[in-house]
Amino acid sequence: MRNRSRHKQRRVFSGVNLAALLVFLFIALPLYWMIASAFKTPANVGASPPQYLPHPASVQNFNVAFSQNTFGRYIVNSVIVAVAATALVLVLGTLAGYAMARLPMRGTFTILVILLMISVFPEIAVVVPLYALLRDIGWLNSYQALIIPYTAFFLPFAIWILRNYFLAIPHEMEESARIDGANPLRTIWSIILPQAWPGLFTAAIFTFTACWTEFLMALSFNVSNDYRTIPVGVALFGSQFTVPYGTLFAASVVAVVPIGILVFIFRRSVVSGLTAGAVKG
Amino acid sequence: MSTRRSDVFRRKLARLGWGLSAPALTVIAAVTVFPIAYAIAMSVSNVNATGSGFSLSGITGSNYSIMFHAAQWRYALFFTIVYTAVTVAVEVVLGTAIALVLERLSAGRGWMMALLLIPWSMITVINAQLWGYIYNPTYGILDTVFSHIGLGTPVVLGTRVPAIAALMVADIWKTTPFVAIIVLAGLVMIPRDFYEAAEVDGASGWTAFWRITFPLLRPTIALAVLFRVLQAFGLFDLPFVLTSGGPGYSTQSLAILAYNAMFRDLDFGPGAAVATSTALLVVIGCLLFLRVFRAQAEREA
Amino acid sequence: MGSGQAGRDGGPARWRAGAVAIAAVVMSLSAAACGSSTSSTPGAGGSATASGSATSGNITWWASPITTSTPDPRAVLISAFEKAYPHIHVTLQSAPTDTDTNRASLITTISGGAASPDVYMGDVIWPAQFGHAGLAVPLSKYLPGSYWSTFAPGLVAGATYSGQVWGAPFFEDQGFLYYRKDLLAKEHMPVPTTWQQLETDAVALKNKGLVKYGYVWQGASYEGLTCNFMEYLGSAGGSVLNSSLTKATIDSPAGTQALTFMRSLITSGASPGAVTTFQEAQAMSAFATGQAAFLRNWNYGWIYSQTASSPSSVVGKVGVAPLPAFAGQPSPGTSNIGGWNLYINPHSKNIAADLTFIKWMTGPAAQTTLATEFAEIPTVQSVRASQTVVAKDPVLAAVPKTRLIPRPAQSPAYAKVSQAIYTNVNSVLSGSASPGAALSSAASQINAAETSTGL
Repeated sequence: MRNRSRHKQRRVFSGVNLAALLVFLFIALPLYWMIASAFKTPANVGASPPQYLPHPASVQNFNVAFSQNTFGRYIVNSVIVAVAATALVLVLGTLAGYAMARLPMRGTFTILVILLMISVFPEIAVVVPLYALLRDIGWLNSYQALIIPYTAFFLPFAIWILRNYFLAIPHEMEESARIDGANPLRTIWSIILPQAWPGLFTAAIFTFTACWTEFLMALSFNVSNDYRTIPVGVALFGSQFTVPYGTLFAASVVAVVPIGILVFIFRRSVVSGLTAGAVKG
Repeated sequence: MSTRRSDVFRRKLARLGWGLSAPALTVIAAVTVFPIAYAIAMSVSNVNATGSGFSLSGITGSNYSIMFHAAQWRYALFFTIVYTAVTVAVEVVLGTAIALVLERLSAGRGWMMALLLIPWSMITVINAQLWGYIYNPTYGILDTVFSHIGLGTPVVLGTRVPAIAALMVADIWKTTPFVAIIVLAGLVMIPRDFYEAAEVDGASGWTAFWRITFPLLRPTIALAVLFRVLQAFGLFDLPFVLTSGGPGYSTQSLAILAYNAMFRDLDFGPGAAVATSTALLVVIGCLLFLRVFRAQAEREA
Repeated sequence: MGSGQAGRDGGPARWRAGAVAIAAVVMSLSAAACGSSTSSTPGAGGSATASGSATSGNITWWASPITTSTPDPRAVLISAFEKAYPHIHVTLQSAPTDTDTNRASLITTISGGAASPDVYMGDVIWPAQFGHAGLAVPLSKYLPGSYWSTFAPGLVAGATYSGQVWGAPFFEDQGFLYYRKDLLAKEHMPVPTTWQQLETDAVALKNKGLVKYGYVWQGASYEGLTCNFMEYLGSAGGSVLNSSLTKATIDSPAGTQALTFMRSLITSGASPGAVTTFQEAQAMSAFATGQAAFLRNWNYGWIYSQTASSPSSVVGKVGVAPLPAFAGQPSPGTSNIGGWNLYINPHSKNIAADLTFIKWMTGPAAQTTLATEFAEIPTVQSVRASQTVVAKDPVLAAVPKTRLIPRPAQSPAYAKVSQAIYTNVNSVLSGSASPGAALSSAASQINAAETSTGL
């Protein structure tokens, strides 16, 4: 058995590698199409039959996104809002998720159901009253107008995710720490978190992308260009009767960069976190 | 909890639990309770949109009665359920398969993870536009590919079944990667010695998966299903950009119906009724799912 | 998932206690919020005598991009206005290009009680809905009849609901027929003046292999299809609603003629099946890349097709004409009216300055700039008829010759009426319904929309 699996790993054309290649193609082909089209000239974006390679390659779409539209501003705003909300969600969600996974609170189930209800409630129905609320406290056109609602609406599901992963962590170490009289925050920090990396990563990715792509609240609460985020910014591209595919794709290519940087920064901890789980017994 | 503890200690721990949960619950309650309660109130009142806000008067069931009698609502419910069932099934099976492949991949796992994150983190509206560009009937790549292989030029978004399928493909492309990441995170938390035991027993890969991996992975898969059901039921951007709910009402989801009622027709009462009932349906569906899931897990344990 | 244990911990009794507590909080909160939302003053802030003579203040203008050209027409107009009124400062808030998204954002903002934007650019089909819901200020309370009489005929009527004018016409869109004059010349074909002729010519040009598609237009299931349908319906002599807006008149011989003809465009091969998914952008690009011989589009189609960087490969090969008519009906056919009005937010703190801004934007200087620099159709009659504007391009020259038909937007339920039209027409185009069945279904949906609230 062992020999066979080791033998398998050495072959280049193993089933696993072939499957990985299929996955790669499934994900990458549409992405390639977007990136290639971002570098086409505006005329060639609509060429029929389409060009498989951008020829000539052009950065005109990027120029339109950045100079005719203030796309740089939107990226900065999106990063500020998404990073702040994700950080808040992770901190608050870890505390609450740990409590609900481990501590004998009464009514946990009720709370979890209410949280589920909150996270499924259609955004369209809450945006109008929430607008009035934010207006009353004078928060319209600010970063907190998005950071706080995002935190509140994405926390419930993050708590579900985190609680789920915390439940899967063996109790023993924690119990001994508790018997030793360790402070609960310290227990979370030094015992739970190191083992919960995959869960934290999943919750962080979920929250970050939810903030990153949210449209309706961002559209309604911040109408000043200084606070608009990427999804709203791209809705201002073009004009009524045109679909500015080239500009949209150029913007989307650039919008991937901050995500890439984040993945790069956290690559070590994420990958090691994910593999550490696999190695440890 | 293996040992019996005194009630005092138990209560102390519970208080600690509330203390740790309080910040999160306070933020959530402060922001979400009023708007959601207000939306629910709108769904049971006569709502008039005016320049100075909404006037809610009386308590009435007429918004729900309008909704139940509308053929459009019944179709939207049917469409949303079918759409959710199909996409979630495909995404979970495919996502689990991708996670299993990634876990066994000897090299390049980090790069594959990064690649998986790109579709998932793409702005939803741009994802819809990308697929609109691919499906474009005059210069879309799909049209070209189809005519190269002699299948003619299909009008993808113009007829019901192909339009729904086209939406599903776009959704599956964007969301499967995240399901794969959730499942992968669950997969690597399974202790290695379980597999080693199986290898000693001489179980084949397939048997090992069904006997060991799958049962241990089930909570994670349940989470993925739950997560996807919640999202798929809120389906909005894709049909909004790609088909505007058409042709006819073929791709009008519950969220689009509610949006149209509120922001196009200014029928805030019926719109809020659609939104509220959608949330209720999803929660009931999720609870049933969890109950069935738990019963199943207990039976096997 | 482990919620089982927790579930047994907190039984139904606790559930109820929790729910009651939350409900109590909710009640108090919602009572507070209702109080605050009704306390904000409705309707006009400022006096009813303000007529646009203010010369100072700060206002914000919410407007979606008018064209993609550089410089931005909105910025050009604002800076010219600020030169004329140095003490009024205008801040532009760019609005989403998608009209429905734009409207959703405005509804949230205005019904949420925000004082900004002061002035907004909104679709010509909004007056009844916005007037009915109090989302706009009735401008006719402030501006005299002499002001309204400067506009081209029909535009002010289109902005009127319940005896008041709610929006000042800013620029207009009309449907036109664009054709490839090089291809028509080659085949010695005259410019078609009847729909039947257009269909025959389109099929002929396509069958000769000169173009991939004969005639392209907007057949997707959206507002633009209502516009297209209105043009055929108008030319056939039909209407959607009776004059008191109480009963659908769409299910008529004229309706059948219009719909049967639209479907025949596809079955005869004059138009591709894909036209059932075309909005303006797809139809425009098929024509501009030289794939189609004829195009129905708004007036922007001219400048788009004549600008190589649009991109267009048919520069210098395009002619424009009023839309054809059905044989035996008055010629030319009817063109639908689109375009944008300027509205005032009822919560605006500076209505006097808003009116100054609107009057200037609908005055000769701004209207001439819009026409001559940005090829938009001016709404002011004297500007529209002036030599400099008419000489500017063939579309502006053709404007005085068109016969116009508005959409039935005088009803606050217009959005539903339109949806009843475009979804049913689209079903006929894609072959899934017969014209007769679609018209009767449209008629019953329109009647329902006019008589009751529903989905």
